[in-house]
Amino acid sequence: MPILQRPLSRRQLVKGAAAAAAWGSLGSMAAISRQAHAAAGDRKFLFYFASGAWDATPLDPKFGSDGQSAVGGTDMDPGTTLGRAGNLTYSAGNDRLNMDLFFQDWYPYATIVRGVDVHSVAHDTGMQWTLTGSTSMSAPDWPTALAARSPIAYPMPHLVFSGPNYPGTLGGAVVRGGGGTLLRLMDGSINATADENAPAHVWAVDNMIDAQVYRRGDRYGSNRTGAGRSRIDAFLASLERSQELEGRLFEAGLSGSTNEILDQSMMALEVMRLGLARCAMIDVPGIWDTHDDNSVVGPQLDDFYGVLIEVMDYLSRTPGVASPTLLDEVTIVVMSEMGRTPLLNSSGGRDHWTYASQLILSSQITGNRILGATDDEFLARTIDLRTGQPSASGTYLGTEHVGAALLQFGGVDSEEFLNGVEPLAGLVGEGA
Amino acid sequence: MTLLLLLSCATETGSPGEQVVPVDLSPREMLIRASVDIRGIHPSEADLAAFEADPSDAAYEAYVDAWLQDDRFLDRMEEVWNGVFRTRTGETYFDPAEAGLSDLDSRDVAEAIGDEPLQLVRWIVDNDLPWTEIVLAEHTMGNSTTAAMWNQTLTGDPSGWSPATYDDGRPMAGVLSSTTFWQRYPSAGSNANRHRANNVSRIFLCDDYLSRPVEFSRSDVEAATAEEMEDVIRDNPTCAGCHSSLDPLAAHFFGFWWDKEDETLSARSRYYASDEDEWQSWSGRAPNYYGVPTNGLRDLATHLADDPRFVDCAVQTTLEALQQRELTDDDWTDLASFERDFASGGLTMRALVRSIVTSDSYRNPVDSDTISSVKMVSPDQLRSIILDKTGYDWTFEERAALVSNDMGMPVLLGGTDSRYVTDRNYQPTVSAMFVAERLAQVAGYRVAASDLAGETMSNPVLLQKVTVQDTPASNPQAFEDQVRFLYLTLTGIPLEKDAPEVQEGVDLWKQIFSVTSSPTSAWAGVIAAVLRDPRLLFY
Repeated sequence: MPILQRPLSRRQLVKGAAAAAAWGSLGSMAAISRQAHAAAGDRKFLFYFASGAWDATPLDPKFGSDGQSAVGGTDMDPGTTLGRAGNLTYSAGNDRLNMDLFFQDWYPYATIVRGVDVHSVAHDTGMQWTLTGSTSMSAPDWPTALAARSPIAYPMPHLVFSGPNYPGTLGGAVVRGGGGTLLRLMDGSINATADENAPAHVWAVDNMIDAQVYRRGDRYGSNRTGAGRSRIDAFLASLERSQELEGRLFEAGLSGSTNEILDQSMMALEVMRLGLARCAMIDVPGIWDTHDDNSVVGPQLDDFYGVLIEVMDYLSRTPGVASPTLLDEVTIVVMSEMGRTPLLNSSGGRDHWTYASQLILSSQITGNRILGATDDEFLARTIDLRTGQPSASGTYLGTEHVGAALLQFGGVDSEEFLNGVEPLAGLVGEGA
Repeated sequence: MTLLLLLSCATETGSPGEQVVPVDLSPREMLIRASVDIRGIHPSEADLAAFEADPSDAAYEAYVDAWLQDDRFLDRMEEVWNGVFRTRTGETYFDPAEAGLSDLDSRDVAEAIGDEPLQLVRWIVDNDLPWTEIVLAEHTMGNSTTAAMWNQTLTGDPSGWSPATYDDGRPMAGVLSSTTFWQRYPSAGSNANRHRANNVSRIFLCDDYLSRPVEFSRSDVEAATAEEMEDVIRDNPTCAGCHSSLDPLAAHFFGFWWDKEDETLSARSRYYASDEDEWQSWSGRAPNYYGVPTNGLRDLATHLADDPRFVDCAVQTTLEALQQRELTDDDWTDLASFERDFASGGLTMRALVRSIVTSDSYRNPVDSDTISSVKMVSPDQLRSIILDKTGYDWTFEERAALVSNDMGMPVLLGGTDSRYVTDRNYQPTVSAMFVAERLAQVAGYRVAASDLAGETMSNPVLLQKVTVQDTPASNPQAFEDQVRFLYLTLTGIPLEKDAPEVQEGVDLWKQIFSVTSSPTSAWAGVIAAVLRDPRLLFY
C-alpha cells in the first residue's frame, strides 16, 4: 500500500507545526512502545448491526439434554443442534457451518450476552433503545458517544458505512462513508464529473484555502457561547479533520472499495489502524425480519460469521497502533434491534420479541463467557449486573446496562449519557 | 415570554444550571436570517444596505411580507413538511413501465411521486388556504407522471401540477387519500395499518406512539406468548394504553389494504371500497377517533382538523424547523402566541411564519447550553444561496446534487434522505466540509473562468473590480476593492476598514498564483474561500 507524502496540513499553516506533531502520524506512532492492550481511551469499536431484528435463538439455543430435542416454549430452527465451543453454546447446523467454525476458533475472545431487554417490539424504537438506551433524539448512540468523547482526536471519529446512526447532539463526530460519494469528495475527483465541471485543485491550493476558511471560522465564533459556540467548534474541528483526511485517503486504501460487508469491514479496520477513526458501524446484510420464513436466518448467519472469521484473522495478524496486534485494540460489538418470538408461527417465521442476544469480541474482555440468561420460554431471568450471572435478587438486563458498560470500557463516563444507569460490570468491570 | 424574560437577565437560567446569553445581531445579520429561513437565499445588497439605514420594525416586517409572497417560500415550505412527510425517498415503488412510462428516467418518476403530497402543501400555502386543507381538501395534486402512475384525473395543464382526483372513487381527504402517502407508509400482514395510523398521529398530531415509553411486565410477555396476539393487544392494560386509540385510527385505512396476491401496480395502488370493513378480520376494532365513532376516511379527516393538537402540531413542526431544535417547555409561551396569530390569520402558513419570524424571540436569539444562535443551512438552502450568488448550480446528469438523493449528497451535508436518515444533523461534520469545499471549488472556478474570459465583461458575476491582467503589484487598489467586494457580495457583511481578510485574500491569491501561474485559478481559489465562509454555511 503506497504511503504518500502528506502535504502541509491546514493545522500546520494555522497553528504551527507543534500542533501538527501532537496529532501524530504513522512515523510517530511507530515510536510508541507497543502495549499488551490498548488503554480505555485508545480502544476502538467496530459495530455490526443486523437491521430487521435478528433471531436471538442461535446465540441462546434451547435444546434438551441430548442437544437435539426441543424444549417446551422455544422452537429451534429445523436441522439445528446444540453447538458448543469452550463454555459457549449456540445453534449449529449445516446451514450455518461458519458459525460453528468461528466459535471453535475464537471462543476465547467471545462473550455472548443473552436476554437483553430492548423495551420495545417495534423496529424503530427497539433500534433506538438498543443503540442509545433511550428514545430521546438528543441521545447519541454508543459509537457516537465513544467517538465524540474520545481523548484522541480522530479525523473521522465515527465512520458510518451502513446501518443505523443516532447522532443526538454529537453529530459533529459522525462521518457517513457509504455510497462512494464521500471518497470522490475527499480526493476532489467529483468535480470532474459535474455537468459544469472544474479541474481538480492541487493539495497545496486546498490547504491554502482551508487555512483562510479556518481563520474566518475562528473569528466568526469568537463572540459565541454555549451551543452556538459548540457548533462553530464543530465546524473548525471538522475542517481540521477533513484536511487530515485529504492527505491520507490513498494511504488508507479507501479508493476502489465496494459496499460489500467484508470490504467495509476491512476498510473500517484500516482506518482504525491508521488512527483515522475510533468507531465504525456496518449493517449486517440479510432479511432478518423473518415473519414469514425463518429458514433464511441460517444461511445469512453463515455469511456473516464467514466475514467475522476473516475479520478476526486480520485483526490477529495485523500490528496495532500501540499494541502487538489490532486485536488488542479493536472490540467488535454485534447487535440487533430486538429478538424474535421463541415459537415459530404458522408460516415458519418468527415475530417480534423484546429480548435480544448480542455478541462481543475482544481480547481485552474476558471471553468464553455467557452473560445474562433467558428461560426455556425465552423470557429474561434476573441477573447480578456485577457478574452478569443469574441471580434471583438481581435485575433484568436492559440494553442500557450493556451500553453503559461499553461506554465505561471505552473510557467514557456513562453517567453523562445514562444518568443513574448501572453498567453491566460483569462484562468489562472488575467482576469480569 | 420566557426567552424575553431571560434576555433581560443574562445570567438567569432557562433550566437549572443553564446560562442564557443574548446574541446581538446586526441589522444585516437579522435580515439575512429571515431571508434564508423564508426564501433560502440572502437578501440583495440593496436591501441589506437599505435595512441597515432603516432597521425599524416596519421596514423589517415589510421585507418579511414581501418574501412570504416569493415562490421560494413555497419551496421552503415543501422542504419543511418533507421533514415530517418524508416522501422524497427517490423511490418509484413500482416499475414505471407498468404505467407506460418506460421512456421516462425513473428518477424523474420518483421525484414526481415523492412530491405528490408536498405539492398539496405548496397549493395550500400558495393559495392562502387554511392548513386544515392538508387533510380536508377534496383533491390531491398530480402531474402527467403521477396521473399515469396512480390513475389520477387532473384538473389542469398536465405539464405542471394541478389538483387531481383518483379514478377509483376513493373518498378524498387531502394527503390521507394520496397514493404516494400510503406507498411511503405501507402496512403488511399483522401490522393491520397500525404503521399508517401512527404516522398520521406523528405527522399531524406530533404524537408518535413509538416514542412512548413502554415497560412490558413479565405477565405481559407471558400473555403474548400464550394467547392470541390480537386479544392481548386489546385486553392487556400495557398494550391497550396505545392500541385502544391506535387501532381504531388504523381501521380507517383498510380501503388501501394490499394484502392481496396481485402485486401489480394497478392492483396495489388503487382503493378498494369493498375492503373498508376488513378491520373486523384484524384488530376487530371499529373506526373511531379517540373514542368518538367515525364514519369513514373523510370523517376521520374532519376530526383530525378539529383536534386542537392538529394546530399545535403544525406550529410545532414549523417552529422546530425554523429554530433547528426540539422545543421544550420553555417555548410554551411563544407557541401559544404563534398559535393565536396562526388562528387569527385563517390558519395560513404565511400567517404562521410571519408570526414566528417577526417575534421577539426570533429577532433576539440566544446561546445557551441547549440553544444555538447559529443555524446551519440545509442542503436546499446552500444550493439556492450559491445559485443566487454565482449562477452556478452543482448538477450531475442534470440533477441537482444537493437536492437529489442519487449521490447521497444531502445526507453528507447534514440533510435527510427521507428513508434511512430522517432527522437533520445541525452540527457540521467532516463530510459536510468536503461537500462545501468541492461545491465552492467548482463554483469559484466557473465564475472566475467566465468573468476573466470576458464572457460576462459587461456584467461580470463577481470579479467586477479586476481584470485578468491585474496583479497585486500592478493594481493593489483593485485587488483590495475586489476582495472587499467578494466578502460583501457573498456573505452580505462588509469587511471592517482594517479587516485582516483583505490582506489575507491578496496573500491567498499570490500563494495560489505562485503554484498555478494562473490568474483564473488564483481568483477561483479566493472566491472558493469566501464561498466556504461560515457566514454562508451558517446564518
